[in-house]
Amino acid sequence: MTTATLFILLLACMGMGMPIAIALGLSSIVTILFFSNDSLASIALKLFESTSEHYTLLAIPFFILSSSFLSTGGVARRLIDFAVDSVGHIRGGLAMASVMACMLFAAVSGSSPATVAAIGTIVIAGMVRAGYPESFAAGVIANAGTLGILIPPSIVMLVYAAATEVSAARMFMAGFLPGLMMGGILMVAIYIVARVKNLPSRPFPGVIKLIKSGATALGGLMLIIIVLGSIYGGIASPTEAAAVAAVYGFFIAVVGYRDIGPLRKIPWRYPDEKLSRAALRNTHQSVAALFKSAIDPEIKEVLLDATKTSLMLLFIIANAMLFAHVLTTERIPHMIAETIVLWGLPVWGFLVVVNILLLIAGNFMEPSAIILIMAPILFPIATQLGIDPIHLGIIMVVNMEIGMLTPPVGLNLFVTAGITKRDIGWVIRAALPWLGLLLIFLMLITYVPQISLFLPEYLDARAGY
Amino acid sequence: MLTKLINKTEEGILCIMLVGMTLLVFVEVILRFGFNTGLLWAEEVTLYISAWFVLFGASYGIKVGAHIAVEAFVKLLPDNIRRLVASVAIILSVIYCGLFLYGSWIYLTKMKMIGIEMEDLPIPKWIAMSILFIGFVFLGIRLLQLLWDVITGKQLGFHVIDEAEETLHLFEEIEQIELAEDAAETRAGQ
Repeated sequence: MTTATLFILLLACMGMGMPIAIALGLSSIVTILFFSNDSLASIALKLFESTSEHYTLLAIPFFILSSSFLSTGGVARRLIDFAVDSVGHIRGGLAMASVMACMLFAAVSGSSPATVAAIGTIVIAGMVRAGYPESFAAGVIANAGTLGILIPPSIVMLVYAAATEVSAARMFMAGFLPGLMMGGILMVAIYIVARVKNLPSRPFPGVIKLIKSGATALGGLMLIIIVLGSIYGGIASPTEAAAVAAVYGFFIAVVGYRDIGPLRKIPWRYPDEKLSRAALRNTHQSVAALFKSAIDPEIKEVLLDATKTSLMLLFIIANAMLFAHVLTTERIPHMIAETIVLWGLPVWGFLVVVNILLLIAGNFMEPSAIILIMAPILFPIATQLGIDPIHLGIIMVVNMEIGMLTPPVGLNLFVTAGITKRDIGWVIRAALPWLGLLLIFLMLITYVPQISLFLPEYLDARAGY
Repeated sequence: MLTKLINKTEEGILCIMLVGMTLLVFVEVILRFGFNTGLLWAEEVTLYISAWFVLFGASYGIKVGAHIAVEAFVKLLPDNIRRLVASVAIILSVIYCGLFLYGSWIYLTKMKMIGIEMEDLPIPKWIAMSILFIGFVFLGIRLLQLLWDVITGKQLGFHVIDEAEETLHLFEEIEQIELAEDAAETRAGQ
């Protein structure tokens, strides 16, 4: 009865188009009021606690902030240059370079649609000019863009860590290998297609140019090194690493790359300017820029963007914690788990059900929202069946990746359609063969837990973090 | 004029809170590694700012449509029915607000009576937690405004940011850069 009330209310509210946060909160409060003895005051306190007692959760706004500083066209351009110089000379190299650029940008920005928009805009046109079929280019990018939520640091993983209280650092480690693997699978598939279809390659630009573009891209890539290095090295918690990343992101975007903010279009060195003079000018300009940033309209735009996304996510999380509270006090997941055990459903059977459930949910909702609703239900069941929580997390994330490529909510499809100016049906057809690869990858991840668990367990054994 | 001022203040406060949190954690990291000290109160303050950020921001989120929702079903309805469904959803949201207002009022008055202070700072706890009540007052006001807009037909529902559209501004930005570069190249070619 309680279970039915909770879920029917939740689905009805969400179906009416109510914000997911409020739908979660309302259905939880009503269930508590009808079926338990908690007072409204204690519910209010619970909501306040869920916004103010989780230090780990702060990593979410910080990472969002750092990614909004670095999700600019300029950063995308530099990463693409580096990727093209490194793998462009292989047959089908431009497409492979696009996948590589997507992986790098995904790691820096942590957002899938932003990856497709930033990388796709430049490389799809580039690939078409180089003689690739447009549907091939669009399909590759729409798929490679989904890597954003699998390669750490990833916001969706932080949300999972918040919902289930597993360590965010371990989730990040677990996502690393699968992320590289998916990128590798895509590149191998591209190579095979390129051989069969005889797609073009580019001449090798030379080691010097490679080092040069690598050094330019390093400004953005350092972010990944700082974050992952300090988390894995055990120096800082994910929250602290995220705060450092946000400040670093600001410096690179405003002072280093000068894509946004007061120093925009002021070069490091004017032609014919003396080196000493340029150094002096840059020093005082950089310091001045720090103060000017406080009133700069572009910086404010970036901040507001990050604000909107963070408060939306944190408000859902606060309400989702109420929802999770109802689930645990009413022992709903435990009852489902007992039923499943009673049926004698094997572990693989449960995982198949999980996959199907998540794929369906992925058609209608955002990744973070799905994780916040489904994780508190699936997590206790999985623990009872002996599935590692980290492994379950990676399965959920890969499912969410596929959700970004299936209508009607598949964000990556819409972004790709926007870039190529084609209709959504064309994009779906273009992405379909690559989506097949993603499904095979999902099966691999689901049934070979070692892919996800190898790295965290290896580092555990070495007491690395 | 007044609405513009309110907008600016709202946005300003939210941005300052976000930047404040980030810098507090950043400074703490620097102090720990560079100088081997720390700020005793930093963690508590950061956490309370985050609570204020979320609860104060919730109403701003309604105003700018930042809260995500499932739009797939209501989109299939004809406009009039869609507005009716949206009104029901908004009224339910107002009830949600009301329940929280009632609960937080009781809680805060009790806290004021007991008179506990925060752990590391000499501020009464009920003041630090007052955003619970304030935030839901603002949320309620924004929801009622939205309800009025839906009833008078200015809006179809919670206007939700289309994330796909949002990211496409990146695309336009890049396209402009490319165009500028192409133009520069052709000039150089001549």
